[in-house]
Formats: sequence, C-alpha cells, structure tokens
Amino acid sequence: MAASSGRTVGSFLWKCGNFCFNFNTVSSNLTRQVLSRQLCVSAVFHRKNLAAAGPEKFSEEFIKKQVEEFNIGKRHLANMMGEDPETFTQGDIDRSIAYLFPSGLFDNKAKPLMKHPDEVFPKQRAVQWGADGRPFHFLFYTGKQSYYSLMHDTFTKALAVEKHQDRLRGKGLFTQDAKQISLVGSRWLLKEELEELLVETISDHDYARFIQLMERLLSLPYCSAEEDFVQRYRRQLEIQSSKQQVQPLQYDQHGVAYSTGDGRRKTATGTVLLRDSGSGSISINGTNYVHYFPVLQDREQLMFPLHFMGVLGRFDMQCSVSGGGHSSQAGALRLAISRAMLSFLSEGQVETMRQAGLLTPDPRIKERKKPGQEGARRKFTWKKR
Amino acid sequence: MSASITGLLKPWTPRLFLVRWSRYNPYYLEPEPRKEVYHIPETELTPEQKEERELKSVRPIKAATNSVTSSVFNDPVLSKFVNMMMKDGDKIIAKGIITQTLENMKRKQVEKYHKAPEGKKAEIECNPYAIFHQALENCKPVIGLASIQKGGKFYQVPIPLTDNRRRFLAMKWMITECRDNKHRLTLMYEKLSQELLAAFSKEGNVVKRKHELHKMAESNRAYAHYRWW
Repeated sequence: MAASSGRTVGSFLWKCGNFCFNFNTVSSNLTRQVLSRQLCVSAVFHRKNLAAAGPEKFSEEFIKKQVEEFNIGKRHLANMMGEDPETFTQGDIDRSIAYLFPSGLFDNKAKPLMKHPDEVFPKQRAVQWGADGRPFHFLFYTGKQSYYSLMHDTFTKALAVEKHQDRLRGKGLFTQDAKQISLVGSRWLLKEELEELLVETISDHDYARFIQLMERLLSLPYCSAEEDFVQRYRRQLEIQSSKQQVQPLQYDQHGVAYSTGDGRRKTATGTVLLRDSGSGSISINGTNYVHYFPVLQDREQLMFPLHFMGVLGRFDMQCSVSGGGHSSQAGALRLAISRAMLSFLSEGQVETMRQAGLLTPDPRIKERKKPGQEGARRKFTWKKR
Repeated sequence: MSASITGLLKPWTPRLFLVRWSRYNPYYLEPEPRKEVYHIPETELTPEQKEERELKSVRPIKAATNSVTSSVFNDPVLSKFVNMMMKDGDKIIAKGIITQTLENMKRKQVEKYHKAPEGKKAEIECNPYAIFHQALENCKPVIGLASIQKGGKFYQVPIPLTDNRRRFLAMKWMITECRDNKHRLTLMYEKLSQELLAAFSKEGNVVKRKHELHKMAESNRAYAHYRWW
C-alpha cells in the first residue's frame, strides 16, 4: 500500500471526484507520501550550504521525479479542496496542508509542509569530471570555477568595450555622452544571492572584487552594450510608496466623508477623527487646540500636514491624546493626522507626503542609562586618586 | 523580483556602546519638508534632480523633526540659533527670546526709517530676518586656527573652515558675547538686538573678534605648511 504511487491515487480520485467520500483512504496515502517526502528532506531543507560537502546526494532523475510527483500531488490537493487545479498557488497549498494536517507543534519548521522540490532540495552541482577523471571545466582546479569563470567573462567584456571605444576614437566618433545604463532603483546582488547563483561558496574578499570589477565595467562610457549582462547581476528595489496602507473613505449618516488615524511618538499616543466638513475646527480631548497647546511649535506641528497639502480650512478634527509631554503629543497627533489624510489623497500626493517625512513614525526614544556611567552619556566625575 | 532588505530595517539599536549613532538605519534618507520642491513640473528638472527623485522613491525616508514645518516662517538657520541659545532643553524660553529680539530689531529699524530723510529711507533694512542673516554672514570667519604639535611645541596654524563650522563660530561668538560682555541688568533680547544691528553694519564686538582671528591667521602664515590635510 505504501508503494501506491501518485498515479493510482490520481486515477482513483479522477474517477470519484468527491472529496468527502475519499477522505480517509486518500488522506492516508497522501499523508504517507507527504510524510515520507518530508522525512527524507527535513534535515536537508534547513541546511544552507550550496556547494554540497561531498558528492551529490540527489541525482537529476530523482529531482525530476520529485517535481512530477509534486505537481501531481498539487492537482490532487486542489481537487480535494474543491478548487481549480490550474490556479492553485503555493499559498493555497500551505493553507490546505494546514487545514488537512492540523499540527499542535509550536515550531513552524516541525509542522507538515509541501513545497516545490527546488525549494526543498538545495541546489547541487552535477559531477564535475568525466569517466576518465578529467574535469570538464578548465578552471576546475581553482576550487571556485564558476566564480573565476564569471570574473574572466566580465573582464573579457570590459576589454571588448575598451577595444570598441578605441576603434571609435580612431574614427573620431568618440563622445563622452553615450547612452548610460540606468542604475537607480536597483542594487547589486548580495553575497548570499551571488552564492546561490553560482552554486558555490565565495569569501567576502571575492565578493568585493566582483563588485569592484563590475563597477569598473560600468565606469566605461560605452558600457551600455553590456547592459543585459550587468542587469543579470542587479535586483530591482521595490517602490516604497506601495507599502503604505491606505484605509478606504467612510461616510456618516449626513453623507460627510470621514476617516480615522492614530499615531505614536515616544510614550504619547494620539487618535484623530478627520471630517471633510469645511470648517477647520480642531478639538483635542474636548478642549480647543489653542488652549491645549499654548506653545506655537506644537500648533505648527498640527498644521504641518494640512499646510503641506494646502487643505488648511477643509477638515474638522476631533483628537484624543494621552501620555508623554507636549512635544511628543504634538508629534503623535501629527502622525495620526497624516495617516488619516491618506484616504483623501491621490497616489502622487501620498508619495510627496512620504518624502516630506510625515508618514514615518519617529523611532527616537530616551537613551538608556549604562552601567559605570551616571546617565546615558555623562560619565562619573573623574578623580585622579 | 524585488529586494526585501527593507523588512530588516527596524529601529536600529547598535550592539556595542557606540558613540555616534542614530536610531535610524543608515539606509534611510533625509526628508524634504518644503512645498515648492514638489511643485516643479517634470520638464524643468535637471538630470541630477530626476535621479534623486527616483532614488527617493525606492528608499525609506526619516521622519521630520518637530522643529521643522513646511511653513514660510520655518528658517533652518534661525532654528539652529534657537537650539544653541537653549539651556537645559527649555526651547520655549529660547524661542521667546528670539521672537522678542526680532520684534525689537524691527521696532528700532522702523523708528529709524520714520526719522530718516526721504533720500535715505530706501537704504534702511526693516525685515528682521534679513538683518539676522546678514549680521550672521558678517560675523562668519573665513579662516580659522588649529593647534598643531610639531617638535614638542604647539603652533597656531591657519586652516580652512567648513561652512558648518563657520556658521557655528558666528553663532557661538554672538551668544557668548551677549551673555558675558554686556551690562548685567539688560535683558537678553535687548543685548542680542543691539549686537545683531551692530553686526549688520559691520561694527560691534563680534565683528571685531572675527577681524582679530583673521589677523592672527595672517600673522601665523609662516606655519601654514604644518597643515597636512
């Protein structure tokens, strides 16, 4: 029974497409499959080294078979859960497994899992030498053949670009302002990512030399010919403004739009209810803001987000704040107002508010006192004897 | 495939007791609170400004401090002066003194304006902010001295100063001069307004101190080659 492969289970399932009818039999098969797969990989899954210590443990055919089994198992799982097998994502798989095999264990790494074999088995290199014992790659005996061959490729490309430049100079067509590769919004591969790409461990020094060589390639004016090569070793950075969570606008019984926001600064917390009524009145903890904040600086902080967006008299605000001192209360309310205003603004305006520093919570707190010193920075009086 | 470094950017507490550190991860950029910068249309941006905008769109930004606003009355130089005047963290008193100083300067200048003959009226500057900036400019030293040890002796060597250092020295001299060298019973705002108006017309003790520093630097010209940076 343990030898029953996915195919028989699959055919069994395809005939009867009913999840509840087959639950007990199928789940035991699937459990056995999943658990057996998990048992042989649980130790391997969490190992991080890539250039596997020793000869390869999993052959290519084995990995291919695992991939096939995974795909078939995914379709069975989708059928069992009553979902469409074509659009069954990894997130759906995780949820289904958590539903079918509820685990009382606390450690996430000990719970049952079903992931694509590429994520489970570490990438390994095929055997590097032929039947006669002679290695395939000419740089095998350096120990880091992929890394050195990459360095050689990059340098060859740099030489080619320089030769191209010399030819242009000879013809008199050389200009400094040739089209440059745009590097804004992307970063170099991290050392870990490069190791993953090369399936080899490299040292920090090696990584630094690689980045140095790429920068040298980029310093040549006519490097845009090698743009594809360079972009392969760069990753796009995500746009920060897409991370802002904007609440949708709410409407009360009179049809007036309102939104809420809350903010914190040091130990003060504040909440604000912003109403689009057009009067511009502000009340804090029941009192008028002029009486609550007698200091000009605090009132300026309240007005900062409104003045920045040019909506000074438009909103009605009911604020409540507690904790901290007057400055931190004003800062907490400023953050709360900015967050509440997001629902009324467009994407571009949200980005300008973010760049003005209105949407970042201020992380500065009181610095702790250290042992052996009187305060955070002040040392004890130095006595010579 | 987007990078996920920003998931690791929590308020940054250093492991060891470092001296110059901030709660922000060094990856964060400074905020730009002025309104006009964001109203420049796309066509009028230089390539550097375009690149800066693209960089800002992918990097997290620090929070604006609580002394900074987008208002037209927000002046970074004046804020720095207020902070330097402040004692024991009492910004309310320091800001109050500065406001009284500016009002006092304006009153004196307006009085002078009304008393002046028709031809001279246009030359009298009434804007207290303009007077403050000009007075500070007049107090800034161009060259400074550093104490460098050579062969067992310490020499005063003339060195160039950065903009921040020059501004700091001008403000420091102004404040110490007003605190120490004036009559005990005059209030601070009165002392400050007198000194600022004097510096505006290039008279007064602070400007004298600047000239003395320049003379010392000139006299120690011979040791200029002791500077190695």
